[in-house]
Amino acid sequence: MADLKAQIIEQLNLQEVAPESIGNDQSLFSKEGLGLDSIDALELIVLLQQHYNLRIANPEQGPQIFQSVRTMATYITANQTVQA
Amino acid sequence: MNIYINGTGCISPQETAQGGPLLATLREYDQVRLTNVDPDYKQWVDVKQIRRMSRVVKMGVGAANLSLEEAGITQPDAIITGTAYGCLDDTGVFLSKMVNQQEEMLTPTAFIQSTHNTVAGQIALLLGCNGYNNTFVHRGFSFENSLLDAIMILKEGSAKHILAGGLDEITNHSHQLLTRFGIYKKTPVKTMELLNSPTRGTIAGEGASFFLLSPEISPGTVATLTGLSTLYKPLWEGEVIGHIMKFLEDNNCTPADIDLIVTGRNGDIDQDEIYEEVAAALFPDHAEACFKHLCGEYPTAAAFGMWMANAVIAEQQVPEAAVFYGKAPEKIKKVLLYNHHQGTHHSLILLSAC
Repeated sequence: MADLKAQIIEQLNLQEVAPESIGNDQSLFSKEGLGLDSIDALELIVLLQQHYNLRIANPEQGPQIFQSVRTMATYITANQTVQA
Repeated sequence: MNIYINGTGCISPQETAQGGPLLATLREYDQVRLTNVDPDYKQWVDVKQIRRMSRVVKMGVGAANLSLEEAGITQPDAIITGTAYGCLDDTGVFLSKMVNQQEEMLTPTAFIQSTHNTVAGQIALLLGCNGYNNTFVHRGFSFENSLLDAIMILKEGSAKHILAGGLDEITNHSHQLLTRFGIYKKTPVKTMELLNSPTRGTIAGEGASFFLLSPEISPGTVATLTGLSTLYKPLWEGEVIGHIMKFLEDNNCTPADIDLIVTGRNGDIDQDEIYEEVAAALFPDHAEACFKHLCGEYPTAAAFGMWMANAVIAEQQVPEAAVFYGKAPEKIKKVLLYNHHQGTHHSLILLSAC
């Protein structure tokens, strides 16, 4: 998950955010969490494609997948296993 | 109708964003490419929003805020910008990714931020300004045409406070391309030696200068934007001289009424020749100030020139670093800015003390 946090910071250009300051279960899109927006959501979709070769087939899954770093990691692990 | 310059803001290779006396701390360079002295943009923009902004967007937002602060205005009625290159850096990022990634998996941010009107749009978003918003992309007339639009709107009476400005950035990519055209000098030149350089080419620059224009004077206002005119591709110097004479006549003055001329000399022996001709024909005994050795050459550099002219009127003196020839009179009432870009886009801006 540390790698994923670093990738998120780089992709979203989150200046002044350290990977260790992002909690595994911290909300990515709520104001109390990282406060990301819809453009960031598109950037995260691209991140999954670029780094993990994963395409989200069902857009309705988006809110669930991008809830936190942990949910993203779970999705990546599950789907990469399926691909393998 | 008088059009007052109620606020100005400038971000440039000089320390113009800090306030204080004009060119109090001169930044001297010995290079062919000048880059901006950036203020702390976090004073105007939230960290979360800054992360998506390229340099030109930040400098535009910064200069716009400086001019609004000086004018004491929080909400302009219109925002008009002029830029020749637009958001070049983000355009480069987007196009590079398009090539490198075979048009797949393109990120939205660089695409969204790569349009020329991003800066005007971003300023409006930050201010929550739903008024008229326009961007002129007319090469060396981009800034002048944004001013012209502002003047016409103010004269129509459909707005009272207009934020108008000119901005351009230089990037590694654009500098490399423009260098191939032979626009820049082949060897570095010292700032204060540029204007007497005996070679072809100039130095690259960048910057953003904004003005809050209004038909209503505010307490700190020092100058009015009295006249503006452009001349495209004059056939010979006589056409420029005739155009200047007509311009002065239209603004009810003669060369004798001008206290200071500010020219866009850039140290290129070919391009500076016309300034010599104009000075010899119309202003042989006038003091002349220059600005492109301070900010570098770029299509909207006249905006920096206008910002400097306004500051000269405010301080009633020309900083030594800006003097090219002669000594300005004790009272500086009328300043004529004559600039040309690449020998094709000639413009005149007349400022008068209030």
